[in-house]
Amino acid sequence: MVDELYLANAALELASGVVALLVSYTAFRYNRLLRSEILSFLSFGFMLLGVGLLAEGSLHSLISFNIGQILEDRAVVYVASVIYLILQLIAYSTFTIGYYRGSFGRVREEGVLPALVFIIFVHTARNPLLLGTYVNATVQLIVVLLLAFIVFQGLLVHGGSTGRSALVLGGFLLILIAHALVLVSSLVISPPLYLGGALVQFAGFLSLLAYILRSGRVGATSTNT
Amino acid sequence: MAQPQRTRSRIKIYFDILSSVKEEGNAKPTRVLYRSNLSYDRLTRYLDELVTKGLLAEVRSEDSRYYTITEKGSEFLLEVKKAEAFLKGFGLSL
Repeated sequence: MVDELYLANAALELASGVVALLVSYTAFRYNRLLRSEILSFLSFGFMLLGVGLLAEGSLHSLISFNIGQILEDRAVVYVASVIYLILQLIAYSTFTIGYYRGSFGRVREEGVLPALVFIIFVHTARNPLLLGTYVNATVQLIVVLLLAFIVFQGLLVHGGSTGRSALVLGGFLLILIAHALVLVSSLVISPPLYLGGALVQFAGFLSLLAYILRSGRVGATSTNT
Repeated sequence: MAQPQRTRSRIKIYFDILSSVKEEGNAKPTRVLYRSNLSYDRLTRYLDELVTKGLLAEVRSEDSRYYTITEKGSEFLLEVKKAEAFLKGFGLSL
C-alpha cells in the first residue's frame, strides 16, 4: 500500500515537474524577446519548482521500486525532502515578489528572503529534535501564505474576468489547496490526504499547461484573421 | 483596481508601430505617427531602428515615402502578441 502510494505520488510529481519546466521555458523564451524582469521571476520560479518536483518524484520512484534500498538511508530521504521544501519556498517567494513588483512597483525584497530564512533555520534550530516536522510544517505554512497572496493579488488584477487568465488563477488556487492538504496531512499523518494534495497540485499544473497552450495560439489566430 | 500608469517600453513602442504598419499595409509616416502616439522626432528614430533591424522596409517613390512590414517583422509581431497573451494571464502587461 505504501509502495503504491509512493508510486502514484511519484508519477504525479514527475508529471507536474515537466509542466513546471515547460512554463519556465515559455517564460524564458518570451523573456529573451521582451527582456522583462517579471518574466525572469516567473521563469526562475517555475524552474526551481520543476527541478524540485522532478527530484522529489525520482526519489519517490526509487523508494516505490526499492531501488538501492534508499528507504533504509533515512538521511538521504530527509535531506532530499528538505531541499525540495526549500526550493518550493524560494520559488513561491520569487512569484510573490514578481507579482508584487509587476502590480505595485518596486518592493524591498532584499529583506524578504533573509526573513524567511531566519524563520525556518534560526527559529527551528532551537529544537533540533523536532526539525523534520517543524521544517515541513513551517515551510508548508509559509508556502500556503505566499500562494494565498498570489491568488488574492490575481483576484484583484483579474477582477471577475474569465477565460485564459482564469486558468492561471485557477492553477495557483489549486496549488494553494494542494499545499494546504499536504500541510494538514503532515499534521494528522494521513498518507491518502498527502496523495490527494499531489493530485490537486497536478490538476493545478494541468491548468497552467492549458493556459500555455491557449496563449500560444492567440497570436497565430489573430494573425490569420 | 487600476494598475499604475507606466511609460511604454521600447518593445511596446515597436509593437504599436509594427501593428499600425501591418494594418495600414503601405503606411505613410504621418499615419504611423497618428496611430502610435509619438512625437515626430521619436517616431523617425524608431522607424530607422526598425528598418535597420530588418523588421520594416522603407519604400521611396518620386514624391512620397512609406513603410511596409517585412516577414521578419511579422514574425516578431506574432511572438510579441504571444508574449503579451502569456503575460496577461499573470495579470501583467508589456
